[in-house]
Amino acid sequence: MAHLMIWALVLAVFWLLLSGFFKTLLLSFGLISVVLVVFLIRRMDTTDNQPQKLPLSFSFFRYVIWLLGQIALSSLEVTKLVWGSSKKLSPAIAKLPVANTPEKTRVLYANSITLTPGTLSVDIDEEHVTVHALDAQSIKSLEAGEMATKVSSVTGAKN
Amino acid sequence: MILETLSTLFLVLGAFFSFTGVIGLFKFPDFFTRVHAASVTDSIATILIIFGLILRTDFGLVAVKLLFILIFMLLTSPTASHALAKSARHGGLLTLAETRAPKKEDND
Amino acid sequence: MLALAATSIAILSVMALALARALRADTVYDRILGVNMFGTKTALFIAVMGFLSGRPDFLDIAIVYALINFIGMVAVLRFFEYTATDDTQNNKESS
Repeated sequence: MAHLMIWALVLAVFWLLLSGFFKTLLLSFGLISVVLVVFLIRRMDTTDNQPQKLPLSFSFFRYVIWLLGQIALSSLEVTKLVWGSSKKLSPAIAKLPVANTPEKTRVLYANSITLTPGTLSVDIDEEHVTVHALDAQSIKSLEAGEMATKVSSVTGAKN
Repeated sequence: MILETLSTLFLVLGAFFSFTGVIGLFKFPDFFTRVHAASVTDSIATILIIFGLILRTDFGLVAVKLLFILIFMLLTSPTASHALAKSARHGGLLTLAETRAPKKEDND
Repeated sequence: MLALAATSIAILSVMALALARALRADTVYDRILGVNMFGTKTALFIAVMGFLSGRPDFLDIAIVYALINFIGMVAVLRFFEYTATDDTQNNKESS
């Protein structure tokens, strides 16, 4: 129940920020939308038994900042490859094990892999995530597992 | 004044990275490498341009809206690239390494 | 102001190049890649354009465009994942 209240609060703030009007009519529209969405969330929870909690924690924001740094670094790498000669290109494909991580963490991990330029998660199933990389080096650094440990420190503990 | 200079720097860098991405789209040899080039424009160029625009606002509602655009794009663009790569893989497109290996037909 | 104008022109030319890439691609996935890039750049272009003309209301349109672009992408991919199995070459896909 508590997470529904948090959802309602977040959605109300979202509505107010997007509209920026404080007239009665528009506020009541906002109220109706928030109630409708919270009702839908509750229905979805009872259907699939997976309450959707918002990842609002300090470690998540720290992870986002770290990820932005990684994006900047690997963008520079890819930029060098684009403007340099294309002979140096060594695309590689590999399977990384994600068997013992929970589903939510897996999704965040695959999305982070794709978001950093130079690596791309091609396929994901129960045991492996298939990663295509522009440079064989970045596969190695993924296998070293820095991103994996950071991701599981964000969500892994409580789910 | 400092904010405006910083914002100009961000916008110019963002434009540069956009061009990098699209040049890569023309230059790279096969589909999967081209996705990497496109993801440069999706991530770093979007971040830079949106931050450049945020520095030009008065940090009110407009800045929050820009931040929402950024969050939407950062959530959706990797999902789109992943869906694209996955359906290309299931559609039977080979990567460069696999094309260079014994198999010689397929993939233009 | 000059920086905004320069950025909008740059984004516009990137959009044109992406569209050109989509038009002369040889597989349907390349086309979708080009069109996706065109779409995300359009959302950015609308945002920059709003600042250039001094009307930040345009940002709402940019948000909507970003969402529609994503949903359209996923819909097109759903369609082609199950239809374009063997001969991907002879598809005439646009938009």
